[in-house]
Amino acid sequence: MWRKEDGNPQSDVSYGPKSAASGSGPAVSGKAAACVSQGIKIKGELTGSEDLFIDGFVDGKVNLTNSMLTVGPNATVKAEITARELVVRGRAEGKFTASERVQIWHTARVQGDIKAERISIEEGAELHGKLEAGKPINSANSEASQQTKKAEINKPNSRVTEEKGATGAATAGAN
Amino acid sequence: MGFLNKLGIGAGHAPRQARSLPESRAGHNNSHHGNAVATGPHKEPELGTSTRVSNALKDFLWNLDGLGRGTLLDLGPAWQTTLSFFIERGFRVTSEDLLRGWTDFQAKEAQKSTGMVLTADDYAERTPEVLAKKFLDDNLQYARSSFDALLLWDILDYLEPTLGKMMVAHVTEMLRPGGVVLALFHSKKPTGFQRYRVVDTTTLQVLTAKPIVPAQKVFQNREIQALFSGFRSMKSYIGRDQLREALFLK
Repeated sequence: MWRKEDGNPQSDVSYGPKSAASGSGPAVSGKAAACVSQGIKIKGELTGSEDLFIDGFVDGKVNLTNSMLTVGPNATVKAEITARELVVRGRAEGKFTASERVQIWHTARVQGDIKAERISIEEGAELHGKLEAGKPINSANSEASQQTKKAEINKPNSRVTEEKGATGAATAGAN
Repeated sequence: MGFLNKLGIGAGHAPRQARSLPESRAGHNNSHHGNAVATGPHKEPELGTSTRVSNALKDFLWNLDGLGRGTLLDLGPAWQTTLSFFIERGFRVTSEDLLRGWTDFQAKEAQKSTGMVLTADDYAERTPEVLAKKFLDDNLQYARSSFDALLLWDILDYLEPTLGKMMVAHVTEMLRPGGVVLALFHSKKPTGFQRYRVVDTTTLQVLTAKPIVPAQKVFQNREIQALFSGFRSMKSYIGRDQLREALFLK
């Protein structure tokens, strides 16, 4: 379930859509201790424990397991990114994993695979690739759910059995 | 989804009046509405939106009820509303826009052959079967029985028929026994192009968008049954808007 503050990207003053809408450029809060600004090119591996704002060019691997990474509106990132929280406002290509959440702004162009527990996508964002969101399903949980499902299927009077009789029949609905 | 949701008063079942989805697209930053905001990818200009009551969606959710933590594969574009709807119900949602992937793949293939003098071997590598196999080798790569539910929308009407057939066989493997598929089929060849998102337990929002692929085929019931022959049952709902909804149970 989304927490109240999580559901609304505007609650994040530093990175919220409000600042983008006002055209004030990349907003870097005091929290964002590090910044790869426009015109800077980095090729290789970036690892850290501070929040990072990228508005330049990064090609490689970014690992901020316990921190937040913001891909700014002017950024071009081709990387495998692992972060606690990821905000994409510019161009990003690669594989993205966030342990908490991913925010994709309307200015974002994302190509690649995104994996996060929670995700918010603004209208107009461009996504090419696969997206996986929600809490990871552990094997025990999955097994339990499968058993529940099997039990449901095997119920003699279950809905599934009822529907079997309707196989192939076109049922007029009231749509 | 619990008992309250069955009664229509559970989490995620917002009353119609409280629905935050725009009836028309006034602007693209509506995030002040919280996580029920209608958002979506691809910058496809929406030409209009409408909502439709979906009995198949209602049945689809009924079949997933009591599953606890389920896994869902959405083969349409990733919309915030759809994602939130299922995530709030404990699902792990995987979204892969198959039509977009197919058009990108076709564009790449066309680019490869630009300026080339094609030999007989090259033509042999460009048959619908070979291209479909190549596409499926790079896309929809998930383990067997890894999903409880699949949202297929109306993509079969737009996919190249050979690919459509292979894709259905492929996704059948990916569904668990008892898994459920929601698909839509146009009764007449569609003139426009539509995308769908889940608004609530019985309502779909239909977004008319700029076509990315032309409609390929209008499926007859018999063809649909043949296509989904690996499923135990099929139930279809005929709508007044020339759109048939179908539910398949593995």
